[in-house]
Amino acid sequence: MKRNVAGLVIVFVGAAMVQLATSGVYLRYVKPGMRWMLLAAGVVLIALAVTDVVVRSRQTHDHGLPRAAWLLLIPVFALLVVDPPALGADAAQRQSPVAAKPAKPVDPQGNAYWGDESHGPKPMTVRDYSVWAVWEKETMQGRSFQLTGFVTPAKNGVWYVTRIGLTCCVADGTAFMVEARGQAAPAKNQWITVTGKWAEPTKRVDGDVAALTVETVKPVAAPANPYE
Amino acid sequence: MRTVSTPTEVEEKPETTEKEPSGSSIAFTATLVLLVGLALFGRRLFNGWFTDDGIRTWATMFVGVTVQALPFLVLGVLLSAALTAFVPASFFAKALPKHPALAVPVASASGVVLPGCECASVPVSAALMNRGVTPAAAIAFLLSAPAINPVVLASTAVAFPGQPKVVVARAVTSLAVSMILGWLWLLTGKGGSWLKMPKNRHAHDDSKFDVFRSAMLHDFLHAGGFLVVGAAAAATLNVVVPRAWLDHVAGNLLLSVLILGLLAVLLAICSEADAFVAASLSQFSLTARLAFMVVGPIVDVKLIALQTGTFGPKFAVRFAPATFVVAILTSLLVGWWLL
Repeated sequence: MKRNVAGLVIVFVGAAMVQLATSGVYLRYVKPGMRWMLLAAGVVLIALAVTDVVVRSRQTHDHGLPRAAWLLLIPVFALLVVDPPALGADAAQRQSPVAAKPAKPVDPQGNAYWGDESHGPKPMTVRDYSVWAVWEKETMQGRSFQLTGFVTPAKNGVWYVTRIGLTCCVADGTAFMVEARGQAAPAKNQWITVTGKWAEPTKRVDGDVAALTVETVKPVAAPANPYE
Repeated sequence: MRTVSTPTEVEEKPETTEKEPSGSSIAFTATLVLLVGLALFGRRLFNGWFTDDGIRTWATMFVGVTVQALPFLVLGVLLSAALTAFVPASFFAKALPKHPALAVPVASASGVVLPGCECASVPVSAALMNRGVTPAAAIAFLLSAPAINPVVLASTAVAFPGQPKVVVARAVTSLAVSMILGWLWLLTGKGGSWLKMPKNRHAHDDSKFDVFRSAMLHDFLHAGGFLVVGAAAAATLNVVVPRAWLDHVAGNLLLSVLILGLLAVLLAICSEADAFVAASLSQFSLTARLAFMVVGPIVDVKLIALQTGTFGPKFAVRFAPATFVVAILTSLLVGWWLL
């Protein structure tokens, strides 16, 4: 690869990283904490390419640069053209809806969470609900909850309120799924807020799946950070 | 910093490089036109091409792995270029024991100082070889740095609350694996013919800053290209391999250690986060999860691609399986002893 073309490729890669970090689109792919790393790396790359152009005018000898560098244009192409969405129902359908047994169940929002009985359905993350509904049945029984997630349809009219959990980036995205009973499935990938009562988990060969008897379904806009 | 939409942002940046009139102006202009054209009209032009759900999930995984790894790669090439340009070769001669067999454990232990995930350690260890460090020691460093640095050990402690033995087991196993492989390298004695020594490309009359700039440019382009290959492989395996088959093997110790080791190779999760994934695989024994955390930082599809690019295919084809086998055996042993 010629050196000036290499500079161009690096500027585009750097600009793409800066654009991801400043626009918030990066939240589709990585954790919020990566923002400053992305921004810094993008700026370093742009600075590298620009200095190279400025300083090189003094130099005569030119080395060939690795041809592998052309491959860097593939992710740039993917971002510009495909515009990959955040992980959704398709990724969730590839996983089992069964919630793994937690090492040690953590109280969702401190001790006060369960004490307060007054104001209707309790908001809970899909991640917590999918674990608690299966492994802490006694606490959950008879209570109402409010969950926000997207719709993952399955066979025979079954559908799940779903959130994807990230630990690092989308490569390790884990789907947390709650079977929604008593209401027809909204469109695939539609973001919704549901309220309803805890229901007995569904038995499957690989384990139990959390369930909720849904009373209300309200379509909502996708949150800025789609992951939990 | 401007916060405009993608096309405008990207379309304006290349102007900075247009000052260069000489040389391959045709290739340059063609690339520029292609990229700006894609930025402006790409989505309209390919409208309806990439609508399949599976393809879009793949694209998300692919971009995700790349975006996660690139900042660490930039950090790595920055450090390695600095090592190449500003640290004299004599420093390493003094810092490391003369005898290669003694240099290996010292290099392993000094992996503690490089906080970053595995993408950063490949260019850095190439720079070490470049500076005259014996390959065996550079390899020990390559293997230990992403596994035993403070960030990784701290995240392991957070992922396994109340189980400090997991952190200890991870540090011990990773250190042991890196030393064993360093010594194995010395024992085989023909490493030289497998390893494509990263060559010192820089004329001696260049200033230090020029060496730094050239090294960084070259290393980033090279490693970045191979990182893209690795990210594509990881995304493909992520989409194609169903996670459900994991549950069928959790009961058998030997099989589960092997399977979680393979899973670490296929998923290519960065070492700072793999502890959390390991913690979530709670149907498996601690020993199997230890294997997952030991294999992940030292051999995965993304790293194999990076190592092929940096050290040559002859090296990678021997090094990756050897690392895998040693990592699995050591995990079994340490798991039996400590967990």
